[in-house]
Amino acid sequence: MKVPAAGQLLVAAAVLLLLPLGLRAANRLHAVPSLQPDYLPALHGPRERIPFDAGRVPALRRMNPGLVVIGDSMAGSRIDPAILTQRTGRLTAPLLYAGSGPAWWYLVLKNWVIASGIHPRAVIIFFRDTNLTNVLFRIEETWSLDTAALAREDDLNAVVARRRGSPFYRVRDAFERVYQAEQARRWVEPVLNEWPARVIFPYRRTRTIFRDRLNDRFGLSHLRPMDAADMRATEDREADFDAYVEKSGLPLMLRDARAAGLTLVLVRAQRRPLDGQAPHQSPALRRYVARLQAYIEARGGVFMDDTGDPAETIDLYDDGDHLSREGRRRYTEAFAVRLQQRLP
Amino acid sequence: MIFHSLDFVVFFVVVVAAYWRLRHRAQNVLLLAASYLFYGYVHPWFLSLIAASTVIDYLAARGMERWPERRRRCMAVSVISNFGMLGFFKYFNFFVDNVHAVLASAGVHASVPVLRVLLPVGISFYTFQAMSYTIDVFRGELRARRSLLDVAVFISFFPHLVAGPIQRASYLLPQVEQERRFSAEKAASGFFLIVWGFFKKLVIADNVGVIANKVFALNDPSFEILWAGVFAFAIQIYADFSAYTDIARGSSRWLGFELTENFEHPYMARNPADFWRRWNISLSTWFRDYVYIPLGGSRGSEGIWARNVLITFLLSGLWHGASWNYVLWGLYHGVLLVLTRAHHILRPATGTGYAAAGGRAAPGVADVLRIAGMFVLTLIGWLLFRETEIAAIARDLRLSPWNSSPFERQAGLALFLLAFGYSIPLWTQSIWVELHRGVTRRDDGPAGIGITLLKALACGAAFTAILILRSRTSLDFIYFQF
Repeated sequence: MKVPAAGQLLVAAAVLLLLPLGLRAANRLHAVPSLQPDYLPALHGPRERIPFDAGRVPALRRMNPGLVVIGDSMAGSRIDPAILTQRTGRLTAPLLYAGSGPAWWYLVLKNWVIASGIHPRAVIIFFRDTNLTNVLFRIEETWSLDTAALAREDDLNAVVARRRGSPFYRVRDAFERVYQAEQARRWVEPVLNEWPARVIFPYRRTRTIFRDRLNDRFGLSHLRPMDAADMRATEDREADFDAYVEKSGLPLMLRDARAAGLTLVLVRAQRRPLDGQAPHQSPALRRYVARLQAYIEARGGVFMDDTGDPAETIDLYDDGDHLSREGRRRYTEAFAVRLQQRLP
Repeated sequence: MIFHSLDFVVFFVVVVAAYWRLRHRAQNVLLLAASYLFYGYVHPWFLSLIAASTVIDYLAARGMERWPERRRRCMAVSVISNFGMLGFFKYFNFFVDNVHAVLASAGVHASVPVLRVLLPVGISFYTFQAMSYTIDVFRGELRARRSLLDVAVFISFFPHLVAGPIQRASYLLPQVEQERRFSAEKAASGFFLIVWGFFKKLVIADNVGVIANKVFALNDPSFEILWAGVFAFAIQIYADFSAYTDIARGSSRWLGFELTENFEHPYMARNPADFWRRWNISLSTWFRDYVYIPLGGSRGSEGIWARNVLITFLLSGLWHGASWNYVLWGLYHGVLLVLTRAHHILRPATGTGYAAAGGRAAPGVADVLRIAGMFVLTLIGWLLFRETEIAAIARDLRLSPWNSSPFERQAGLALFLLAFGYSIPLWTQSIWVELHRGVTRRDDGPAGIGITLLKALACGAAFTAILILRSRTSLDFIYFQF
């Protein structure tokens, strides 16, 4: 008996939809606890997360810093906390995570700094170009995000949903409820990704050592400078302040800081100078920065822009947009002076 | 818009549902609107370029037919506008950088302008496709079309707009002009192609792509890690590009169109010429018909032939990107082709075994060795293609396995096995097709229950794999950048 093409299509579509239901049965064979809904359902289905780092809150309370610096490697390669403490006379607490993004910065502000009840003179956040209005920038880096996120982050989820601009995550969640694929990934992924190591190292102990060495082998210190520094230039499309500000964490940061009586200092790090000049800024980016500054200042924040600072020459830089050790020292000293001018 | 997004799924379902309710002309209007929405979805300004290219080529072709004595002038307008656009957006910075480097080496330090705009995706594909129309009209092989709508649909047809396969006007334009009827056969075969394409992209290409990206981000790769990364990239680029082609061809079938094949299991190639008959076929044939043959092809002496091959491959390399590594990659393949023809190495023996049997006999040991040899040569090519820094290429080619520590060897082996594991479905398909080459079968007609169930199970398995094995890192299709 021959099956016509339409019949083949129907059978294929039916099997395509029905076969993955087998994952539910397979999941029962593997002792995997049910996954909890993510704190950003607009982005992720249920998944296993790294626990919230609750220890930061009492630690900040004990330290009671006069300045808090939040950011990624831009902040890390610019601010020496010891020098900033010495020059400003205010104890500086660095809350940094290389490869973090504005969602993490917002969560750190809300869930660590504000939650600790401390009242530093300023909370300083370093960013590049359009980072503050691009909530999706590095938001997939869950290993950092999880450390600062509570079980629910409804405000952040709302801006992520607005930014993604589609209700498709509900479709994904529906699929997840039906197929439990994410749960299956928890036991399938390790099997699949570890089989080469299992072939090479039959013993668990040597396998673990090998895996750790392999992770180190691909660590930041082994990467090419431009890859380590994430030198991707800002696209003009991102430089549309009005289109993205309400779809970002910036209003939340300013709102929460103000409500907690904190002064938020948002510092735009200068990107790498080129040919002895400050990095090029398109007209769209210049307009964006002007709008950003007005927005921050209208909501009680302080805006500082390093771009075009004649003192920030190429000799301060190491790789990409990172400053060298010596550059960091000189930058921190200069920054302390500028900060005291802005926050007497 | 990208294929592997829910936006595209919704877009495609809506377009197909509306499309088959319309008459022929209205279908073409819908196709044009859908194609422009697809292309301008993220960057609407891209539309101005494709619209300009379309209008200029339409007018140029009409001009050639109306004023035959001014054919050359009209052709020149088409060539200058298309290559001008391509050159400006794709090669301007490359040119400026090189001028700057030459001046700097001469001790002249000049401030040079740099173009800070995005390269419009797919520009290399649709300009070449548009050129095929005007060149064919110029040659008298095709008549100029009266309908701007038809020409616009031909140039912008969304399934293959961004990354091919590049279609000839003589092949696709008649399909645009003809009445189209819904065919369950085409829809079914299109469905299988789409599912297979998504599997290749999301499960194979994106997973091995992560390995390749990690390796090529290293400042100090060892021999083993580097070549494991090159192997991963070889799998990634084939799975990725052929996935795009499959989804494009599958989607087109749902709209009543048939696009040409672009890949014929290239890693089963036995020699460089064979590789180019199997890899990016639409681009290879474009260069053959519009560059290599007009240069003289294989007419004339061996020297002239070699020159023509090298020029063609150099331009093909440059087409891929404004960077010296692409030029090197093109030249490398040109040199391979010249050398293998000159020395008759890696060429299938005629009159015996597999070749003599018209591909019906199982490949012998010699075939397997040729395939393996050609694959190694292809890997060297992919190193030149993937590594954008010439100094790094030189460093990579100097790496020796004798200097590696046991850990580096184990790491390279682990990465290789991981990439190989993901690529098993690709190898299985290629080997199966190779073993059954010459056996004619129709994939789109009625089938027995066994075959029907097998195909359905394959679809279900592919979808299940997409759900649980798709990479957590979503990568763009590689050929978008070209």
